[in-house]
Amino acid sequence: MSSSTFVYVAYISATPQELWSALTDTELMRRYWFGLRCESRWTAGSPWKIVCGDDQILDSGEIVDAVPPRSMLIRWQHQRIPELKAEGPSLCKLELERHAGAVKLSITHGMARERSKLIELASGSWPLVISNLKSLLETGSVVLQHLPNVRAHATLEKSHG
Amino acid sequence: MARSTFVYVTYIRTTPERLWSALTDREFMKQYWFGMHCESEWTAGSPWKMVLPDGGITDSGEIAEAEPPRRLVIRWQHQMRPELKAEGPSLCTMELEPSDAAVKLSITHTMEREPSKLIAAVSGGWPQILSNLKSFLETGAVALKEVRK
Repeated sequence: MSSSTFVYVAYISATPQELWSALTDTELMRRYWFGLRCESRWTAGSPWKIVCGDDQILDSGEIVDAVPPRSMLIRWQHQRIPELKAEGPSLCKLELERHAGAVKLSITHGMARERSKLIELASGSWPLVISNLKSLLETGSVVLQHLPNVRAHATLEKSHG
Repeated sequence: MARSTFVYVTYIRTTPERLWSALTDREFMKQYWFGMHCESEWTAGSPWKMVLPDGGITDSGEIAEAEPPRRLVIRWQHQMRPELKAEGPSLCTMELEPSDAAVKLSITHTMEREPSKLIAAVSGGWPQILSNLKSFLETGAVALKEVRK
């Protein structure tokens, strides 16, 4: 079956436990995810959503599998832009693996359709979010306070009125 | 023609000038590239090579384009492993773009064949090197001291 996949790997000076906390803590998330936050109980079967500062839901779905602090699989459907929502659910896998005093974080975000716009959007967003997360854990502050490529998001939203 | 491509983007708290130095200064490079470094005059047409701590050359080629501190394109051929060398030259493009108080670094490494063992190999290597580079520029210390095979 044809599919779209985005893969991103980063090595972060932290323990798997610290990284797992950062990936699931609402308040910490707001700092590196440009004011957005994910809400979930982070256990298999529990609902999951990404919420904006104004409480609007951007994406939602459920936790398919969670093995703290090693791996998490999220069924992830966009909700705000109709064209992206129509693509249906994507699957996002996060894997944490200890290595030489650091953690290897691997993100695999895929959708069972070719040229997925959601995966295209995710491909631009994950490097921003993970660059911020790495800086926050290693230096105590994020590298980017604001989304620099709001243009990409604005273009997508504009084309859907 | 079929093509293999690896793309990596990272945002680093630094200036384009400092990042350019980190990408072209051999002593700087040794600190985050697991003891390896590149040698070149970093101008279009000049030869380029990647050198191991013991002096062995792993990759070589030439600078196809250089626009400090914005863009660097390297024609890059592996030299040590016969099956990778046989694939011929790849093209590695590095783009540096100021973004807020940071620099967006984009690496696009391509080979005009599908699949490519060289692109598979660099797909594992770049995230380690660039994670180290980001940590080194932001904290003064690297994240990984030894390369992961």
